[in-house]
This record gives sequence, structure tokens and C-alpha cells, in this order.
Amino acid sequence: MDTILRTLTYQGIPIWRNVFVIRWALQIVSGLLVVLLVSWFFINVGNAIEDRDIPYGFSFLSREYQTPIGQHFLAYESSDTFLYAFFVALTNTLIVSVVGVILATILGIVVGVCRMSSNWIASKLALVYIEFFRNVPLLVHLFFWFYVVLELPPVREGYGIAQKVYINNGGLSFPWPSPNGTGPAGVWLLVVALAIVAGFVTHRRLAIRETTTGATSYSLVLGVAVTLGISGFAWLLLSVGLIGSEGEPPFGLSYPEPHGTFGRISGGLTLSGGLIALLVGLVTYTAAFIAEIVRGGVQSVARGQTEASRSVGLSAMNTLRHITFPQALRVIVPSIISQYLNLTKNSSLAGAIGYSDLTNVAKTMTQTAPAVSIFIMIMVAYLAMSLVYSVIGNLYNRHIRFTGG
Amino acid sequence: MGLKHFVILIGLIAMVGILATACSNGDDDNGAVASEDARLDLVKNRGKLICASRNDVPGYGSLDASGNNVGFDIDLCRAVAAAVLGDPKAIEIRYITASERGPTIQSGEVDLLVRTVTWTSSRDAQWGNYAQTMFYDGQGFIVKKSLGISSALELKDATVCVTQGTTTELNLQDFSTQNNLNITPLTFEESDAVIAAYQAGQCDAFTNDRSQLAAIGSGFDNRSDHVILPDTISEEPLGPVVPHGDEQWFDIVKTVMAILIYGEAYGVEQASVPSVATGDTKVDRLLGITGSYGQESLGLSQTAAQDVLKAVGNYGEVYDRNLGPGGINLPRENGRNALWADAACTNCPKGGQIYAAPLR
Repeated sequence: MDTILRTLTYQGIPIWRNVFVIRWALQIVSGLLVVLLVSWFFINVGNAIEDRDIPYGFSFLSREYQTPIGQHFLAYESSDTFLYAFFVALTNTLIVSVVGVILATILGIVVGVCRMSSNWIASKLALVYIEFFRNVPLLVHLFFWFYVVLELPPVREGYGIAQKVYINNGGLSFPWPSPNGTGPAGVWLLVVALAIVAGFVTHRRLAIRETTTGATSYSLVLGVAVTLGISGFAWLLLSVGLIGSEGEPPFGLSYPEPHGTFGRISGGLTLSGGLIALLVGLVTYTAAFIAEIVRGGVQSVARGQTEASRSVGLSAMNTLRHITFPQALRVIVPSIISQYLNLTKNSSLAGAIGYSDLTNVAKTMTQTAPAVSIFIMIMVAYLAMSLVYSVIGNLYNRHIRFTGG
Repeated sequence: MGLKHFVILIGLIAMVGILATACSNGDDDNGAVASEDARLDLVKNRGKLICASRNDVPGYGSLDASGNNVGFDIDLCRAVAAAVLGDPKAIEIRYITASERGPTIQSGEVDLLVRTVTWTSSRDAQWGNYAQTMFYDGQGFIVKKSLGISSALELKDATVCVTQGTTTELNLQDFSTQNNLNITPLTFEESDAVIAAYQAGQCDAFTNDRSQLAAIGSGFDNRSDHVILPDTISEEPLGPVVPHGDEQWFDIVKTVMAILIYGEAYGVEQASVPSVATGDTKVDRLLGITGSYGQESLGLSQTAAQDVLKAVGNYGEVYDRNLGPGGINLPRENGRNALWADAACTNCPKGGQIYAAPLR
């Protein structure tokens, strides 16, 4: 009614009071403002770069980096290029991010569930945990864990467990699979990937059948069995040399071993002291936030749901698992994704405690390459990681949302 | 409804206006954007000199018991402030980490960078202009005596602590590659963390400029348990850096450094800086009593050197107070950091490398 009236009186209204004109003008002005701001930013940066002869450009990427990287999970030589070194550093950050996200989620959910527990001690302990870790700055946490790690004995006096696991302030070393030749290992990994797909398909099929017919089908057990079966069979074939050439298992175990004057550990996998401090700091800090998100999510589910579930006879644990938690997920997932992004970005504090994360390595690169270019690359790298998390999160969120019915 | 939108519109137009004005006069007092203005005028108008330095290494830049900035680098900053503003206290020290040095001086947000900066060709090209080498250093290693090694060449497969953004970080790789040592670096942003990691044995050795190792080592509780290895693996000429693009300012800083050095060469001491003619033409010219060494062209006062020498003393005094007996006790006699010649006698070389453009 209102709209019709306004359209009808359109003719007689002076232009400065005409709502259509005003709306358009506002759109144009705000658009102009954004363009102005952005172009001012770029022009300013451009001028500053020109005025001060600050070097820029990306031709350095194919040059040799010639600088060491403290810890790296990919093979790295100082004769590798800047681009590859950047990639190696990015992998270091990715590992922290992925491992950190997994651990923080587990710890966060456990603490969040404890917080809601009717057990007084569990609930209060969770409360203390959350308030303590949430309210102290992350950098302080990191330094705390850094000094905790430093309190461990130095490498030569460190603890060794059965000469297979070593713990000292240089880090934690343990046995780790190492491929016996790239061919068989690659083949086997490919088979495992296919086996996982096969297992997943089996699980889905059986699960659908269970929901439609009601017959118990053990979909999870069978799915896992298919995956393990195929992978195991491929392993056996490769080991006896039926399809591989050497007749060796595709992977062997590499054991850590002290060597040299300084007793530094080589072989196996070593998580450096800095990495451990970083992971513990990030995980405990982020988990406190996740715990609160989980609590908020679960409590947002209507109380009637719990009551109904209990009156049908489901136990408290089953109520949480099958009724409350799935509904809470819709509230939890979007906020938890931003915690994952925080964790990833916060890992850039690693330089303070000596872990070679992306930012730490890239800042070293500014010594021999244009700082402007390096920082653009750092920004793009973090942005890319964040976007990937967001996309995965949004897809999952779409998957679990109400579909009506 | 209409009125509300109109108000918002006016507000937006006002913002655009402000923004446009902000774009048109892009200079501000800190000089971050004002490359056309002469640095000298900027400093004089501001009334203080902004130096980027440090507060974490005794001898070079640290805080004394009453919280004052002291050190060799700090004194160089004071000397420039005394020459330009007539007041050695008119300084603002910004504490920065090693890796912040390049961007800080490149952006021109500080007037002077004096933070144990090694002069290298690429830094000279990218960061700013190196005024004068004020200390000749070289990179060394400190290790625990209990390791029982006596040369850096024995650091095979060792883990070595190093500060990020330093030339030592780069030299370490060269040294490791050349000698096939397979050294693993452990890189930290802040010196404090590096030192803590070294003391706890997270790394087997700590590498830095030798003078800094001596300075840091002097703060260890159990200094005698540590030993600085005899090897020097690099050249590290240290000195003040000015932003690119202002030759007058570059020349001023060079001249102030020369005043410190010739102050020592001519035997002019802080406690007794003459203000009347001494009869020695060289001294009188330095002090601005007769003749000139270019003060007017540089934009300095006639008696700038008197201000400098009264403020911090000559090079030798600055050295002794901070790096010598009054500070971290680095030997100077017959070393590279001695003067090139004896002041009293034109033909008596002292074997040092501290030398500057003659003041005349």
C-alpha cells in the first residue's frame, strides 16, 4: 500500500526529497567512497615505494634462497629456490594448523561437555580452565610453554625410552614410517586412498539400507573392514613382491638415533621444542574458546528435546550424542570455523619461540628479498588457508543444516 | 525517513571531502610521507631526534639502574642530537628487533638507525645509507665449556641459536655449507629468547657478533662455564644508517661521526672542551673558533662540534664508557677499533681502522 502511494505521488516531490533519487545517490556516494579509499591506499603505497626506492617485484622467487630453515617436514636444501623455501615454510604452518585444529576440537569438546556436566568437580574444573586460558594473552601462554620446554634436560642428558623415543628440550623424537623406495610406497598410498573411498561407499550404502529397512547392518564396522582389508591385502602383495619389484614392504620404520659430538637426534620424526610449545599453547588456548562455543551450542537446543529423549529412555550420553549434539552442531560450526582461522593465524607468533613457521621464515627472507613482495605473499598465503577452512566449514554447515521435513 | 537519509548523505559527502583533503597534503610531522622536506628541518621543527635502537644488549644499548638509555649506539644518537639541536637529551629512542631494522629505516619513520647494524652492500642499496663504520666486528660463537670443543669447525651437526634478521643468520649458512658442517639453526625474533634457549641447552652454540657475545656473556651467572670460540667467520662493520634520499642529512651524520673520531685524534676531551682559541689550527677549526669544515653548507651551527664533544665526549671516551673498561671491557689497544694514528705525532700509526673524512 505504502509503495503504491509513493509511486503515485512520485511526480510532485522535489528532487532532494525524492526517495528514489536519495537511494541512488547514497549508493553512488558510498560506492565512490570505497573506490576513493582503496585507490588512495594503493596510490599511497605506490608513491612511498617509488619515493624511497623500496625494492619490489617477484623475480627473486626463482633465485636460490641460500639460508637455512630450522625445522622442515619437506626435504629442503639451502640451494633450493625462494619459492620452494616459502612452500616448505607454508607446510610447517599447515602442519601446526591441521594438528592444532584437530587437538583443539577434541579438547574443546571434552572441556565444553565437562562444563555442562552435573558432576560439580568436573564442571568447576572446566570453568577454571576456560576462564584461565581465555583471559591470558596467547603470547604469554607461548612464552610460558617455551620456558616449560626449556626446563627439560638438554639433548645429551635427555630421556630415552627403550632407545626408540627421546624427550629433551630440543624436542620429542619417535619412530616414523619411511618409504622403502618411492614406487611401491606411492602405489600403496594410492590403493589406500581408493580403499578409503570404497569403505566410505560401503558404509553409506549399508547405512541407508539400515534406515530404510530397519535391519541392523553394522555399516561402520563393515566400512572400516573393507578399507583395512583392501589396504592390508595390497601391503601383503607388495611385501612379497607380487606387484612391486623389490619384495619389500612399502614402508619401513625409521628410528630416532643420537649421533655426532652433540648427540643431536636424527632419523624418525622429531617435533622440535618450539613446535611442541607452540602446539600446546595454541591448542589449550583455542580449546577454551571452543569449549564455550560447544556449551553455547548445546544449551541453545530447546530443553524439550532433552526431556523428550530421556522420556523415550535414551541415556544421558545417548541423548547428547544422538539428540542434542547434532542439533547444536548447526550453531557450533560457524563459530568454531572462526576459531580454526584464529588458530591458524595465531600460529604466526611462532617466531617468538623459535619454530620455523611461515611468518618466521618469510621475515628472514626479507633480508635478501624485497620486504613488500614477501609480505604480500604472506598475506595471500594466510588468506588462502583461511578461505579453504571457510569453504570446508560452509560445505559441512550446509550438510548438517535443517533440510525441512 | 527522507531527512534521515539526507543527513547520512551529508555525512558521507563530508567524509569524502576530508579524505580528499587528506590526500592532497600528504605530509605529517613524523615525516613518514614527507620525502620532499629536508630531514634537518623536520628534526629541528620537531625539536627532537628519533633513533631506532635497542635496550637489550649491554654496551650497545641497554637501560641503566635508573632506567636511562645507555650504550655505544645510544651515544651516537645523542651526538647527532647535540650537533643538530644543541641538546643531547632531545632524543626519542624506539626499540626495535633485528628484523624490523630494514623496514623501519626504509619507511623513513626514524631519523637514524643505530642498532648494531652491519654494513652490507644489499642493505646499503635497500635500507638506507651507511654513514660511517664506528666499530669493526666479526661473527663468532659462544659454547658451553663442557662440550669440550675449541674451534667452530667442530660444530658438525650442531644446533645453533641465532637472532632473526641479522647478517649472522646468513653468514651461519655460508659457514655451514663451506665447511660441510650441516648446522641446524634455531631462529628467534628476540634476543632474550635466543639467550634463554642457549642457556637451557636447546642449542649447542649461540652465534652473534663477537662483541655482542662478550656483552651478553658478561651478564651470565656462570660466565666461566662458557667460552667464545676463537674463530671469526665474517666481517661485521657496524655504524649508523640514515634513510635514503636526503644527502644533506647523510652528510651531517657522517660529519658528526668524524667529529667524534677527530675529537679523539686531536685530544679534545669531554671534561675540557675549549671554547676559546687554543692556537692549534686543527683543534680551533674543529671547535668552530676559526675556519670551517663546512658547518654552514651542512646547516649545522658554527660550534656544533663543541656541543657534540661536551655531550658525549670523543670517540675514545664513548668507546671506553660503553665498550671499554667502563662497560663490557672489550680490548681496544692495537685492535681494529683503535685510531689509525697517534694524535700528537703525525707519523705514529696506531694500527687501527677507525678513520674518517678529514674535517676541513
